[in-house]
Amino acid sequence: MKLPQKWICILLSIFLVAGTLSGCQSGDASSAAPDGSSQAAEIPEAERDSVIIAMGPTSEPESGFDPAFGWGAGEHVHEPLIQSTLTVTNPDLTIGYDLATDYSASDDGLTWTVHIRDDVKFTDGEPLTASDVAFTYNTVKASSSVNDFTMLDYAEAPDDTTVIFHMETPFSIWPYTMAIVGIVPEHAYDSATYGQNPIGSGRYILNQWDRGQQVILEANPEYYGEQPQMQRVTILFMEEDAAFLAVQAGQVDLAYTSATYSDQAPDGYSLMSVDSVDNRGINLPVTGNPVTSDLAVRRAINIGIDRQEMIDNVLNGYGTPAYSVCDQMPWYNPESEVEYDPEAAAALLDEAGWIPGSDGVREKDGVRAELTILYSSEDSVRQALAADLSNQLGELGISCTIEGVGWDTAYDRALSDPLVWGWGAHTPMELYNIYHTAPGSDSAQYSPYSNPTVDSYMDRALQSPDLEESYELWQLAQWDGSTGVTQQGDIPWVWMVNVSHLYWVRDGLQVAEQKIHPHGHGWSIVNNVDRWVWQGHGAPA
Amino acid sequence: MIIGNWNRRKSTAVLIAVSVLLLAGVMTAGILLSGQAMETDFSRKNEAPSAAFLFGTDWMGRDMLARTLTGLSLSIRIGLLTAAVSSVLALLLGIAAATLGRKADAVISWAIDLCMGIPHILLVMLISLAFGKGFAGVVAGVSLSHWPSLARVIRSEVLQLRQAPYVLTAEKLGVSRLRIARRHIFPHLLPQFLTGLILQFPHAILHEASITFLGFGLPPEQPAIGVILSESMRYLTTGKWWLAVFPGLSLVLVVMLFAVTGNCLRRLADPASAHQ
Repeated sequence: MKLPQKWICILLSIFLVAGTLSGCQSGDASSAAPDGSSQAAEIPEAERDSVIIAMGPTSEPESGFDPAFGWGAGEHVHEPLIQSTLTVTNPDLTIGYDLATDYSASDDGLTWTVHIRDDVKFTDGEPLTASDVAFTYNTVKASSSVNDFTMLDYAEAPDDTTVIFHMETPFSIWPYTMAIVGIVPEHAYDSATYGQNPIGSGRYILNQWDRGQQVILEANPEYYGEQPQMQRVTILFMEEDAAFLAVQAGQVDLAYTSATYSDQAPDGYSLMSVDSVDNRGINLPVTGNPVTSDLAVRRAINIGIDRQEMIDNVLNGYGTPAYSVCDQMPWYNPESEVEYDPEAAAALLDEAGWIPGSDGVREKDGVRAELTILYSSEDSVRQALAADLSNQLGELGISCTIEGVGWDTAYDRALSDPLVWGWGAHTPMELYNIYHTAPGSDSAQYSPYSNPTVDSYMDRALQSPDLEESYELWQLAQWDGSTGVTQQGDIPWVWMVNVSHLYWVRDGLQVAEQKIHPHGHGWSIVNNVDRWVWQGHGAPA
Repeated sequence: MIIGNWNRRKSTAVLIAVSVLLLAGVMTAGILLSGQAMETDFSRKNEAPSAAFLFGTDWMGRDMLARTLTGLSLSIRIGLLTAAVSSVLALLLGIAAATLGRKADAVISWAIDLCMGIPHILLVMLISLAFGKGFAGVVAGVSLSHWPSLARVIRSEVLQLRQAPYVLTAEKLGVSRLRIARRHIFPHLLPQFLTGLILQFPHAILHEASITFLGFGLPPEQPAIGVILSESMRYLTTGKWWLAVFPGLSLVLVVMLFAVTGNCLRRLADPASAHQ
């Protein structure tokens, strides 16, 4: 009697699978039905000043909307929306003003004086004064585990509109930090509850937060700047495939997606691609790895990889070649750019004594040109990049194996093997984190490398009293004509691609122009959600 | 299940032979194709099943047939290893419980109850994590969690056999304990043990695939069935059904082959079938 039961189970499973598959298909069919009832194309009159956005589950702020616990900052920098900031970053990533009316640094870079506007109120009706600002900065300095505030000594407010920051060390790029710290009210701040019930003075008010599901923001009617066009912003947190299904069902107005889905064409939506500095690159340990410690190998890899091929293969064309950690930022040195030249790469290797063996793998002094390329095991894009890189390096005569690793071991392993990283922030501090010798160590933090000249340019850049001038020093740190981190320099990291951020946008939704997005595919998109509009809803068909 | 003019025993034996041959074939094919399974070629990514690629290709242009066979082969090898380890463990602990006195029995029975009380998948995950995941983690996890039911069977069998009239008679006749164990107890235990061992395979394979699917087993660059299935999840919503259907069905097929083999073996070992 056992067999029939088993067969019933098998049959049932087959039906289940078949049902799921045909379910998908019929979904496609109905949304494409030409009966005009397609949900995707119609937006009810009442909802034309609201928008529903799908973001990834990791975008949900774990500790709530408290700047002291990383809201707006951390790895994925964005505007805090609920709170105001002193400065903002302009579309070209230079500095503009929000609360601040001007700022200046003392010549020794140890004192920053910022004047703020006097007409700003928190949403509980209390005015925002300089003491709130000082309180905010002293609080984030004391409690922030996400941001580095070690350069700040303390902040003080001599009067209602003046804030003075006393620094431990000169930090010329302080305005970039001021662009991400949301100002909290001193009179209504309790670190235990603020994250859930934030009071700010920004464009939006947190109306509702259902943990694990959604955040609803309402426009702040008392906002001191231009009134938001979008009165209500609903943000749903869902996995990528769920977000795509929500698009197919017409349930969201904008949803994040990836190159995996870019060949799809959901009815009533179009694909929007936003340029980013969300780069992927590999570290090439300058010491500790017998292959990458040879400068010729690092240079050969940098010019021997076809970045456009990677973009076409892995990103379905949605990306730009990356030559540095900060492409197109004001502090980017265009000297970083290189031409793809496999012959020159091979010549470099030949010249350096890496001679192809009988199996095509190069060898020098008994060392075979073999690399293990690591990638974060849950990231399929990085896996595919590692695989493509491995194929390309194979053609150069460098034999590669790829290995998925968890972040618990990745940092240690990267000290001797190349790892596929993702970086890209709206602050030059990232150059410092990657290339500068770590304090108290003889090497940079993430991959063995140290160059005193590069260090000194960055130190001088941080000490510079003028932000504009510091850009040039950051550029010199990358390449000064004789040394640096570019092809002609030490090339301790090779940058491959900038991953464009992809979104499904419902027809009619006009998404305001985006700044180059930083790493992280989350809140950046809503930086200017207040200026999004619905268009083209004359007579519904 | 009578084929032609063979009797039931004969056709069962043939069925076993066919299953074993198929499994051995899959295993060798997988080992031979392991290089091809890792090969990426972006010029042929996301292709639906065709004559050139019977199971299609994935998002890095890898041949899904080669990957599936390699994955199954890996599963079978892990299954063999873990089933062997856990059965030997079960045999030793089962005999120890039945022969080493009351205290040993209590301790081992308690361990059996404990192991059976914790959901298998959880136990396998925890042990695998403790052993650092990967091949070692999976083998340790599955072997160390799958011995209790067989150990319990063997324990009761040995207890029963020790009280059997012919064993008691042999003891009275002064036959040495070793000889009793060899001549009278072991032959009776063997069929139970073998059947138990083979019926461990499906469990072992499915558990290997499950914890790998959940990310607690084999690493993502290994073409294991669990890895293949968990990767396919990302692409199902875009209609790439072949990434999941073929590997999934193949896994079911292999597990069924093992189950058939085990059941047939049990039938052969059943004394009542001797005259069929």
